[in-house]
Amino acid sequence: MSLHKLRLAAAVPVTISTFSSRLFLKPFPNTLTLGLFSRRLQPRKPLLVRAFSASAAVQDIPATQTSESSARPQWKASIDFKWIRDNKEAVEINIKNRNSNANLDAVLELYENMLNLQKEVERLREERNNVAKKMKGKLESSERERLVEEGKNLKESLVTLEEDLVKLKDELQHVAQSIPNMTHPDVPVGGEDSSAIRKEVGCPREFNFPIKDHLQLGKDLDLIDFDSAAEVSGSKFFYLKNEAVLLEMALLNWTLSQVMKKGYTPLTTPEIVRSSIVEKCGFQPRGDNTQVYSIDGTDQCLIGTAEIPLGGIHMDSILLESALPLKYIAFSHCFRTEAGAAGAATKGLYRVHQFSKAEMFVICRPEDSEFFHHELIQIEEDLFTSLGLHFKTLDMATADLGAPAYRKFDIEAWMPGFGRFGEISSASNCTDYQSRRLGIRYRPSEPLQTGPKKGKANLPATKFVHTLNATACAVPRMMVCLLENYQQEDGSVVIPEPLRPFMGGIELIKPKLK
Amino acid sequence: MKGKLESSERERLVEEGKNLKESLVTLEEDLVKLKDELQHVAQSIPNMTHPDVPVGGEDSSAIRKEVGCPREFNFPIKDHLQLGKDLDLIDFDSAAEVSGSKFFYLKNEAVLLEMALLNWTLSQVMKKGYTPLTTPEIVRSSIVEKCGFQPRGDNTQVYSIDGTDQCLIGTAEIPLGGIHMDSILLESALPLKYIAFSHCFRTEAGAAGAATKGLYRVHQFSKAEMFVICRPEDSEFFHHELIQIEEDLFTSLGLHFKTLDMATADLGAPAYRKFDIEAWMPGFGRFGEISSASNCTDYQSRRLGIRYRPSEPLQTGPKKGKANLPATKFVHTLNATACAVPRMMVCLLENYQQEDGSVVIPEPLRPFMGGIELIKPKLK
Repeated sequence: MSLHKLRLAAAVPVTISTFSSRLFLKPFPNTLTLGLFSRRLQPRKPLLVRAFSASAAVQDIPATQTSESSARPQWKASIDFKWIRDNKEAVEINIKNRNSNANLDAVLELYENMLNLQKEVERLREERNNVAKKMKGKLESSERERLVEEGKNLKESLVTLEEDLVKLKDELQHVAQSIPNMTHPDVPVGGEDSSAIRKEVGCPREFNFPIKDHLQLGKDLDLIDFDSAAEVSGSKFFYLKNEAVLLEMALLNWTLSQVMKKGYTPLTTPEIVRSSIVEKCGFQPRGDNTQVYSIDGTDQCLIGTAEIPLGGIHMDSILLESALPLKYIAFSHCFRTEAGAAGAATKGLYRVHQFSKAEMFVICRPEDSEFFHHELIQIEEDLFTSLGLHFKTLDMATADLGAPAYRKFDIEAWMPGFGRFGEISSASNCTDYQSRRLGIRYRPSEPLQTGPKKGKANLPATKFVHTLNATACAVPRMMVCLLENYQQEDGSVVIPEPLRPFMGGIELIKPKLK
Repeated sequence: MKGKLESSERERLVEEGKNLKESLVTLEEDLVKLKDELQHVAQSIPNMTHPDVPVGGEDSSAIRKEVGCPREFNFPIKDHLQLGKDLDLIDFDSAAEVSGSKFFYLKNEAVLLEMALLNWTLSQVMKKGYTPLTTPEIVRSSIVEKCGFQPRGDNTQVYSIDGTDQCLIGTAEIPLGGIHMDSILLESALPLKYIAFSHCFRTEAGAAGAATKGLYRVHQFSKAEMFVICRPEDSEFFHHELIQIEEDLFTSLGLHFKTLDMATADLGAPAYRKFDIEAWMPGFGRFGEISSASNCTDYQSRRLGIRYRPSEPLQTGPKKGKANLPATKFVHTLNATACAVPRMMVCLLENYQQEDGSVVIPEPLRPFMGGIELIKPKLK
């Protein structure tokens, strides 16, 4: 069924008549902030949210198991070593610009050694084959004995060399997997101060009364309960109450209907995944200060973003070119340890362990990823403009890119309660970094040669797809923005117009009578 | 020894004092151990049972109500797994690779259907005065225990988080019970009535047999749960209110179901009385549980420490003070499933399928799905 039908149908979510207005007279407290994922480990300015620990680029531990373990890695990224060698200057500059710990020299050396060892192994194999051939003919017994001896020696040498080759390949893989993605030429080089502003929408609202932050609004309007959650679960957990629940549902419902109109397929995803999937997406489930919760007694983790189970859908697959692009909008709860996140940017909803998020994910041909990166950021900008937020879109500088991102646009919205901007979304073009790890390929449509013969030899070679991900709606951070920006002097909060039909027509969250 | 004594008398008393002190220390340690042992063993005593509850195993459960009848199909029907495949609604295969068995992705209209179910359920239950909530899904394991579950037993249903004392919740009942733990509520605040949405996580360890197919038994699902905290004399009333709400919801959706008064061997330890609703699932050719409503009386509140102070003072008079306040009592707690999404989906997909492979959306849900009336097969 065409999605067009769905999008027309999805315009009317909740009928006003079904809600009892009596229950909506109580105003809501402030909104919530969400931590967004970033793959960097460096501590950031509080409101620039980078919730995820750095990708393999920053830590010295590559995406596979550490070399101390004698077990072989569970999976391998398809790394183009030859390309790295042929472009080593560019790769080195890129590593430096990103402040990555990747060791290019080690990679190059291991690669050379590996090639040489491989040649040696092949040479020995050929010799052994020659010996075997010779032994098929008629020989004198002394000659036969000599050849048998030679064959034995060759076999033993081969076994040893082949073992060494396997170890060398594993070592090479291990070190090479921490090389970060290349970088788009337009990305500013430097730290967070170097990020460029691509667009700015709106301006800070001027208040003529003393304003409250979202925590105060949350208390006063009986919308958020942190205290009970601290007892039940710990800090950085919360209950939403009353209109805040309706607001979360309205945000997700509205976001879904808007993004579906652009041809994105809605999904819900598992929130428990195998840890190998987390690694393949470029995260570190088991490093120090990991952002990832692990499940006791299993190899499973909780997801920090739907990007992970989305990347996993098509792993180890070959897609038809005609199937691309695949465009998804997925809802999930997200869980983050927020280990290592310190400072002022942890207040209230801004940084929490569990939150709802709608995430967009695109799988496309390499030549289309730049186009879709712009489509994704446009969707985000349209959503936040519709909600009346004041925000700026940043082209993140090289030191602020996670290992998988070729280019990353972050949106920071004005949060008056904090008196500063805070990250509410992130849109990354990961090119083939994730697809090389997840094993997602496609087969181009046009055959290289026409002819009566059909067979694998005549099919065009498969290529790696490009993947992109972008936040459509991170609920707690959106709540911080909405509560703080739309508060009124009497303590009530105005609901932005687009959300009202999705909340049964509620226009205002009013203080509740005590 | 405070008085004036001869030195020999004093020595004797000192000696006696020492002996007494040593004996006391030992006995006090023994007392603590004994109390702990007593507590440990006594805590496994289940709640008492309502006198009307049938005694026996699951075959003894009594049917309180039956609504509707099995739909007659004049074409070969599909189960929800087949419908899920054919209509591109559910993906188990990718989830098996990404996460393991009993995980799934919902796609396309199934996502809209889940949201419609939750939105509609919320609006219906709020009309009855229930406060909407969302809850943490990670909780301290002690909370899980206080609600009457076993986080760390063999075959536990509970996922634990590595390196912490935290667990994933299997139902919002747990964080709901925790909200008011170790509290004394005013009688005037009761009843507290909540409807909470959460994702629920269950290991389903030890669940075997035919009842594991597809969406019937999964590790992760969305659920809307009702929770009531009330005075003891009101719990029976609210138990009937809760089951009535459930029956109204499922009747509105056009389901064929029966409400069972569960027999004694089928009650969990916390439940004084439990009503389960089983709905007809034509793809399975049998009834399957879609909701459960329990009156836990004071079993949970004694563990969670939830008390209330009755309003009327025992004596009137000028003196105010703790001595004049009526003694606190334990509240009663109840919980009931308003909507367990995967099981509802089994019912809706299987019951509303049509010969051409499409599925009709029940009328109450349509406004919550943008007006969609039908899930149609997609062109390939």
